Amino acid sequence: MTLLTVDNLSVDFGRGAKALHAVRGLSFSVAEGETLCIVGESGCGKSMTSLAIMDLLPRIARRSVDRLTMGETDLTRAAGIRAVRGNQMAMIFQEPMTALNPAFPIGDQMTEAYIHHTGASAGVARARAIEMLAEVGIASPEKRLGQYPHQLSGGLRQRVMIAMALMTSPKLLIADEPTTALDVTIQAQILRLLRDLQKRLGIAIIFITHDLGLVSRIADRVVVMYAGTRVEEGTAAEIFDKPRHPYTRALIDCIPQPGKTERGAMLGTIPGVVPAMVGEVRGCAFRTRCAVATPLCDGAIPKRRAGSHSWVCIHETSPVEASA
Amino acid sequence: MTDLAPPAAPGRYSWTRLKEHPSLLLGGGIVLVMVLMAIFAPLIAPHDPLTQNITARTIPPVWYENGTWEHILGTDQLGRDYLSRLIYGARISLFIGFAAVAIAGVIGTVLGLLGGYFGGRIDMFVTFVTTIRLSLPVILVALAVVAVFGGSITIVVIVLGLLKWDRFAVVIRATTSQIARLDYVLSAQAAGASTFYILTREVLPNLIPQLIVIATIEIASAILMEAALSFLGLGVQPPTPSWGLMISEAKAYMFFSFWLIAIPGLALALLVFAINMAGDGLRDLVSPERRG
Amino acid sequence: MLIYLAKRLGLSVLVALFASILAFSLLRLQGNAATALAGEGARAEDIALIIQTYGLDRPIVLQYLSWLGDVLQGDFGTSYFFRTPVAELIASKVGNTVILAMLSLAIALALSIPLGVLAAVYSGTWIDRLCATISLLGQALPSFFLALCMVMLFAIKLRWLPASGDATWRHFVLPALTLGYYITPPFMRLVRAGMIDALGNDYVRTARAKGLPASRVVLKHALRNALVPVVGLVAVQLGLLIGGSVVIESIFALDGLGYLAYQSIGYRDFPVLQAVVLLLAVVYVVLTLVADLVNAWLDPRLRVS
Repeated sequence: MTLLTVDNLSVDFGRGAKALHAVRGLSFSVAEGETLCIVGESGCGKSMTSLAIMDLLPRIARRSVDRLTMGETDLTRAAGIRAVRGNQMAMIFQEPMTALNPAFPIGDQMTEAYIHHTGASAGVARARAIEMLAEVGIASPEKRLGQYPHQLSGGLRQRVMIAMALMTSPKLLIADEPTTALDVTIQAQILRLLRDLQKRLGIAIIFITHDLGLVSRIADRVVVMYAGTRVEEGTAAEIFDKPRHPYTRALIDCIPQPGKTERGAMLGTIPGVVPAMVGEVRGCAFRTRCAVATPLCDGAIPKRRAGSHSWVCIHETSPVEASA
Repeated sequence: MTDLAPPAAPGRYSWTRLKEHPSLLLGGGIVLVMVLMAIFAPLIAPHDPLTQNITARTIPPVWYENGTWEHILGTDQLGRDYLSRLIYGARISLFIGFAAVAIAGVIGTVLGLLGGYFGGRIDMFVTFVTTIRLSLPVILVALAVVAVFGGSITIVVIVLGLLKWDRFAVVIRATTSQIARLDYVLSAQAAGASTFYILTREVLPNLIPQLIVIATIEIASAILMEAALSFLGLGVQPPTPSWGLMISEAKAYMFFSFWLIAIPGLALALLVFAINMAGDGLRDLVSPERRG
Repeated sequence: MLIYLAKRLGLSVLVALFASILAFSLLRLQGNAATALAGEGARAEDIALIIQTYGLDRPIVLQYLSWLGDVLQGDFGTSYFFRTPVAELIASKVGNTVILAMLSLAIALALSIPLGVLAAVYSGTWIDRLCATISLLGQALPSFFLALCMVMLFAIKLRWLPASGDATWRHFVLPALTLGYYITPPFMRLVRAGMIDALGNDYVRTARAKGLPASRVVLKHALRNALVPVVGLVAVQLGLLIGGSVVIESIFALDGLGYLAYQSIGYRDFPVLQAVVLLLAVVYVVLTLVADLVNAWLDPRLRVS
């Protein structure tokens, strides 16, 4: 069953010829209980996408979308987003160090939205917070409630953020690079926690990351974004086994693989940077960095599809794959 | 108060960027007019500001029923032409404002430079002196000193100059300690340049934008303070036409001739408003990233 | 924490001491206090008597030390003019000044916090510019001129409030409004800057993501953090208010510390003036100390360390 539908989402900064297009005509959907990964380098518009869904864009950004619904609720209407945000749809952020308010204890920050959405009493909310802290694997949760964010480590804070997001039993959790700011062992723990929670509670997750290595460990489906638009979408198996877009392939090549990656080999980055999409945009945005670009790439690019797998490229099959 | 934004290269401020700051243009324009008025007071003023005329006392300004074009802003309780006194009064306000802040600026900048550049004990000393200065109630000390030494323009300038350096010291100290750690200062040190050379040639030029901004704030505040001292009768002495003194002298007549205090009061407000507005514009120009 | 406290305390005492030396010497630097005291055209015998009575012929250092010694025992001397002990004199006036200062501060905060929050939330719009103009006007209007305008409007034209004195609470309204409006701009700027800073923080985005209403995001999450620096300014301004109300107290003939200081300047009443300056310096250092402690208490990160 489809939970979230995003149809033709665009986010622009400024107007006219100088307008910066952060997200361009993006469409995707999330089914109940599935994990959708949105992947791309920084500057691809992933974070803008998640903020646009949550209606948290900075004031200078302009959002346009044909359809944005959560179940039956229209999120483009004020009443719709008010009912859903922080209730059925929760979000966790990249920087656990700054995402919590330094001036209030953990317990206060965890319960205030729960009380606001459910009208529960302070006592009930407190019990719920203790339950949720235990759920995310925090020892002695009662003690934590009275503590301030600065008294917790980064990993603990991210667990608190997750517990806080779970307070209202959301159906969808948007996780924007939730592990990027953490060190590797903590990263693995948080990832395991998210996967585990999803299995037990049946929450759908939109997991946003630049690290395709993480994607392989949790994703059901993957959307690959480049320069504000979707270049490829498919199941995790399709993306990793048969990447069709040269950008996807380049991202996969960046993942260090035990045994395959030679010692001392260049650890993968794709040369160049994501171009800023300013003014009128034509053709494939990746052509400036693409190894297999052709003169046709600045024209209209066909949308291709094979079952649940879709991609946007001038090439029917990736020439790199064909030659391999 | 502590503007820690790293100072920008002076070359950046072009005319086109100036036009983006209407508050600077408007404020600066008003100040410029007032300065010109003060400089050319003898040429502009229609009458002598000190000549009394017992037969023409408290004539109202021209927009009142019985006002005359002879005295556009009327005459005061001693029959002196109010417009002329107002024009000459601009001289007093501006001179005291600029002169006092020049003294304060030198004291504060020297202290701030030394504290910020050398750090350690010298810095502790500078901070200590600044704290003492801040603990003294400015108006009260100024009043007391003027009372002891007698009121005159010179005394007012010196007293305000000796009292108003704290903001200079605080800001310059903070900025200097930042600049002192920058590469070009370190390389000058490594090249064996003398401390005096480094402070005057490498550090000071980079502080000029901030100095100008603080100076505008302090000039405005010094002008208000002079007016307050003169209003209390412990500043500039009669018959010198200071705006604060004009209000003080007219106080007894304000129930019947409110314009006698309204005109110098509004002139003061306009001048201070314009200086502050120009200062705000300058601050935006110097550190645009501080704008909301 | 204790060591820090002790150091801060020591520094405060030192600052107050130096301030008192400065105040003392400034007043004795010039002129003959005795001549001033005796009045113009006084006879030589009178002047000699005054010099003897007040010990004005001793070296200034000795005069200072004996004064300081007395002060430490709670004896601030006797007023030349009022002929009563200075301590009693000050005690009888300080209440009015404290009431005035507190009222002005309350008015300033009641004005500046909402305006500063509005200006920050709507930064860059006409609301922001309107608030900025109000603030600039407040800074530009000379306080004594504003006071006279207030008297003219509310006391003379409308006859709502008394123009001078301190008999009832109504007497405090006009002075407090004038002083309060006068000190509003610095608070407003600080609140605005703090709010713009706070609103850009990640935790504000988190609060919005939790689905909290905008008012709660702004007034709880952002404002709480924006108000921390305001505490420091409250301390400084309260110090200035207690000393800076000279002008306003004189205009409204509100018999407080400022009015007393103004009178004692006119009468060359040095014992009173010295005591007031010392008192204000002590008030300043105590207030800044308190502000530091309150700040430490407000910021949970500082509280622990």
